[in-house]
Amino acid sequence: MAFLDINNVSKSFNKDTAAVKDFDLQVEKGELVSFLGPSGCGKTTTLRIVAGFEKPTTGLVRIDGKDITNQPPNKRNVGMVFQAYALFPNMTVGENIGFGMKVAKKPAEEIKSRVSELLTLIHMPDFGDRYPNQLSGGQQQRVALARALALRPEVLLLDEPLSALDAKIRVALRAEIRAIQRQLGITAIYVTHDQEEALSLSDRVVVMNGGKMEQVGTPFEIYNFPKTEFVAQFVGVLNSTRAEIVDPANNRLKMDGQHLQTAESMDGYHAGDQVVVAIRPERLSFASDGHKANLLECTIENIMFLGSIVRVTVKVGQYNLFMDTFNNPFLELPKIGDKVQITCSREAVLVVK
Amino acid sequence: MNQKRIWALIIFIIGMLYFFIPLLSVFEFSLRALKGIYSFEAYRVAFQDPRFYESFGYSFVWAILTILCSMLLIIPTAYWVHLKLRKIKPVIEFITLMPFVVPAVVLAFGLIRLYGKPPLVLTGSPALLIVGYITLSMPYMYRAVDTGLRAIDVKTLTEAAQSLGAGWGTILFKIIFPNLRVAILSGVFLTFAIVMGEFTFASLLVWPAFGPYMEEIGAMRAYTPQALSVVSFLLTWLSIGLIQRVARGAPGQGQVAGAR
Repeated sequence: MAFLDINNVSKSFNKDTAAVKDFDLQVEKGELVSFLGPSGCGKTTTLRIVAGFEKPTTGLVRIDGKDITNQPPNKRNVGMVFQAYALFPNMTVGENIGFGMKVAKKPAEEIKSRVSELLTLIHMPDFGDRYPNQLSGGQQQRVALARALALRPEVLLLDEPLSALDAKIRVALRAEIRAIQRQLGITAIYVTHDQEEALSLSDRVVVMNGGKMEQVGTPFEIYNFPKTEFVAQFVGVLNSTRAEIVDPANNRLKMDGQHLQTAESMDGYHAGDQVVVAIRPERLSFASDGHKANLLECTIENIMFLGSIVRVTVKVGQYNLFMDTFNNPFLELPKIGDKVQITCSREAVLVVK
Repeated sequence: MNQKRIWALIIFIIGMLYFFIPLLSVFEFSLRALKGIYSFEAYRVAFQDPRFYESFGYSFVWAILTILCSMLLIIPTAYWVHLKLRKIKPVIEFITLMPFVVPAVVLAFGLIRLYGKPPLVLTGSPALLIVGYITLSMPYMYRAVDTGLRAIDVKTLTEAAQSLGAGWGTILFKIIFPNLRVAILSGVFLTFAIVMGEFTFASLLVWPAFGPYMEEIGAMRAYTPQALSVVSFLLTWLSIGLIQRVARGAPGQGQVAGAR
């Protein structure tokens, strides 16, 4: 039995729009699952249903077998970290962290010890007497995390906790959050619109769109084997084009007059069917570096130096495709306007719904 | 000094003169009780009148009770409107502005009619005075609290407290009230000033408050009312100074509620 069971949950705020539709997810104990999607996709609404701040229109939420669907938020023992930190301005860092324990009428000694333990965990042992307005954004978010962990909640919910921070601090803090979550073995749900965050942090990722779950899988699966066009487009940079199935038995397609082969099963498809094919930029390479199953004639449109990666835009028929290659200062790149051949394996060609 | 700063200084000086000259005139007049010399005789007469202390003390007690009842009524209401009932905020704001529009005499007679018969008879009880004072001070208290609530993220703070196991009482008294301290004090001092100086209600309901005493003294004496006016100005400035002091000293709070 899953530790956290979000069972066919739907939420509508009015008759015409469903914010969440048939959300069904089982999370194991100690797992960190991210909800990833664009703004308005229902990820925060789903999180708030688990927290108890929204009531689902249909469906159930269970933690460790207990139905908590109708429990008020202050009875659920679910810790939450908010996007806006939500530290209590009238309390010190120590008082903020100990607040939940004080409400639960824990002994003063226990509170003091736990606060000290958590301050050490978040690498802020000398900050107990400071007020929130004396802290940086990153420090405030660490304190918010410590406060949410103080009562040893069964589930930790994080609602875009890093989106208000600058990029460098985000990268550092997400590694810290993941390390703390692993160390404590706490089950966590992490809401984000940042795919890099979701992919780097999570055991599994739920990609959402328009209130629905598009795909659930490990970061590897989501990135390399997207099941829908939305997932393919949303996660990572992706080249997607229209193609026609030419020979389903031999997995052959035609893209704007050029032939492609895929390793994906063509079961259920017929010759003449129009599909969307997707190829990740890093799966394309110059044919001069080694010839693979697929060969495409193209013209160099643009070359962008991104540091460790060089992104080449190539025109294949009517389509512009991105091709990412590792920066090699000793490799001579073609020039804009050059006609070249690019190649990719059968496995690189994804057929998405 | 450049031209802009010179003009700013000139306008500032004109503003100060416009504000302080009448006050200085009142103060100067209050010192003329004894012919030919400046003295504090008017102040001595005021402070030696036992009715001054009786009426001041009476109004002071009712001011405190008004403030307490007002806080218990308005702060949870404003908080709930901010949290759950944002759509009716314009309606609430309209209601809280009504005391500006309806004359105090009409309010007083309305209260007498409403509470002059069963089931709730308050005429003859000073409780009716509190009801009237709460109504008169409502715009100021509500506005002060509303300004304070706008400066904090009420919803997220409430949800954060709930996620940590807090009930409504804990949220109100441990989170919301402390973070509205400056705003509440602003409303408290305004309410205090209104109650202390209020005349119509106390006069119509026939209670020995400070407002009717001031009016009576004004009718009978020349210099003592001016002395009392200076004293009330000083009290007002003291209250505002206390608000500023508290606002500066409040940890983690950058707001000062704007008083009308």
